[in-house]
Amino acid sequence: MTDDAHRFTGMYDECRQRVWAYVVSRAGRQVADEVVSETFAIAWRRLDDVPEPALPWLLGVARNVLRDNIRAEVRREALAAELRAWTEGDVADEVTQRIGVLRALAALHEDDREILVLVAWHGLSPKEGARVVGCSSAAFRVRLHRARKRLKEAMEAAEPALPPIPAVRNLSEEWS
Amino acid sequence: MNPIDELRAARPAHLGDQPVDERTRAAELTRAMAAPRQSRQSRRTRRVVRPVWSLGLAGAAAATAAAVVITSNGAQPVTPRTTPATSALATTQATVRLSARDVLLAAAGSAESRPEGRGAYWHTTSVSRNLYVAEKGGYRIMDVGRSEMWTPRATGGETWSRGQSLGAHPVTDEDRAAWEQAGSPSEITVAAKMIGGTKRFVVPMAEGKVRTEHAPLLDGDKVFWLGRNITMKDLRRLPADPARLKKWLEAAYDGHGTESADEEMSADVWLFKVGVGLVTDMPVTPEVRGAAFRMLAGLDGVRVTENVTDSEGRRGTAVSVTEDVPGPAVLEDRLVFDVATGRALARENVVVKPGGLQAGLEPGTVWNSTALLDAGWTDANFKG
Repeated sequence: MTDDAHRFTGMYDECRQRVWAYVVSRAGRQVADEVVSETFAIAWRRLDDVPEPALPWLLGVARNVLRDNIRAEVRREALAAELRAWTEGDVADEVTQRIGVLRALAALHEDDREILVLVAWHGLSPKEGARVVGCSSAAFRVRLHRARKRLKEAMEAAEPALPPIPAVRNLSEEWS
Repeated sequence: MNPIDELRAARPAHLGDQPVDERTRAAELTRAMAAPRQSRQSRRTRRVVRPVWSLGLAGAAAATAAAVVITSNGAQPVTPRTTPATSALATTQATVRLSARDVLLAAAGSAESRPEGRGAYWHTTSVSRNLYVAEKGGYRIMDVGRSEMWTPRATGGETWSRGQSLGAHPVTDEDRAAWEQAGSPSEITVAAKMIGGTKRFVVPMAEGKVRTEHAPLLDGDKVFWLGRNITMKDLRRLPADPARLKKWLEAAYDGHGTESADEEMSADVWLFKVGVGLVTDMPVTPEVRGAAFRMLAGLDGVRVTENVTDSEGRRGTAVSVTEDVPGPAVLEDRLVFDVATGRALARENVVVKPGGLQAGLEPGTVWNSTALLDAGWTDANFKG
């Protein structure tokens, strides 16, 4: 394997699922593989331009691929289905609080959701996040602050749709 | 609890760091690396690349070729090869005792007298075919893709391309029976043992979506790669004298191959590949096209085979070189053209000695081809 192929494969293995998760959070699962595939095709062609760490750069490319290749209505529908899937999980297996957070996230504007997901789920710093969405670090911090505030409000506003799950009782106690 | 921390804890499991499944990984890596890399040394002058529409493991294999040598049998006629049992795959080949030089000079004369049209865009339509052997079942499938390109005459414009995978199909009735036996899978995994390990990827049988792409010209004015990136002006001003054209092209040769800096390639093979690229589908003047044929006639190791049928069923003459590639395998790179018009019909790769990606294919099999359906100037862009 050439050095380039080696480096590329390593980068792919490190970042592929992160890029996929980002695309899913922006446009749902149906289009994700296609967008990811195109993103890495671009990354190979432009390997000399890819910085370390590669993830913010890759997410930025994926964002452009999504914008240029997937029609807005397709994206909206696919994303709506994805957001439903997040919040309609098998309740028995889910923690109420988690569902509440995801519902609040799903209710936010797309731009707020993107900022929050980049930071909370992908661990990007404001500087890295700014790279992805194409704004200054300062602007990103401001947007993050606002998005965070709106998430908190949405979480508080949400009715406790599900009763808290009682702690599992100790069976031996019950039977004794 | 901080809302960001709560959000972090609430990440749906499927968006976590699960490994990607092996098939997807192989397919995506192969697809990405099938395209030419923009060379590290020439970062500031990135290579003009044309879109690759089919998955093209073939391209990946070619791009990673580690060593290419030319057979030095001069302008001798090609050695007759075993005719494969499956004639559907093979072209009819009849070698005649006419020197490569004479045939190419005839084509040069024809090319020179062929008028060119006018228009704002150089437009080409081509159909590419790749032959693969299924990893399970061993049957052969042909993957077909169609692609169109619009290249602007003026600087500052955009190149447009439109492409579609036309799907894959079993090659012969025998292959079809084996495919059905395997449960008529809609996706076929193919594998090739190469230096650096086995490469695997998945070929979908179904037709793909039509995809349109556009991009500004590289550096605002580069339109093609001819050993170096060139502008339309450069292309239109190439020397119409064979010796000067050769010198102009050779200036960009630095000992390695056309697809990768890791492979060595002789100057004559390199000039063959670059020169064939020029006559195939680039908008040069008729005089330069003629000069390119004359230049090819002067290269060592170039052979001519008459009465060849291209992948679209058209009769023509082939000019070729033979290469040793990793696998190891011996392959022939050839241009099929019409001597009477000097027009290129197809660029094809033929198995001479099977191995690597071409293991399981019989000698004489055309395993990869790009047939040019149409090339000319037009005022209509992709919307027209």
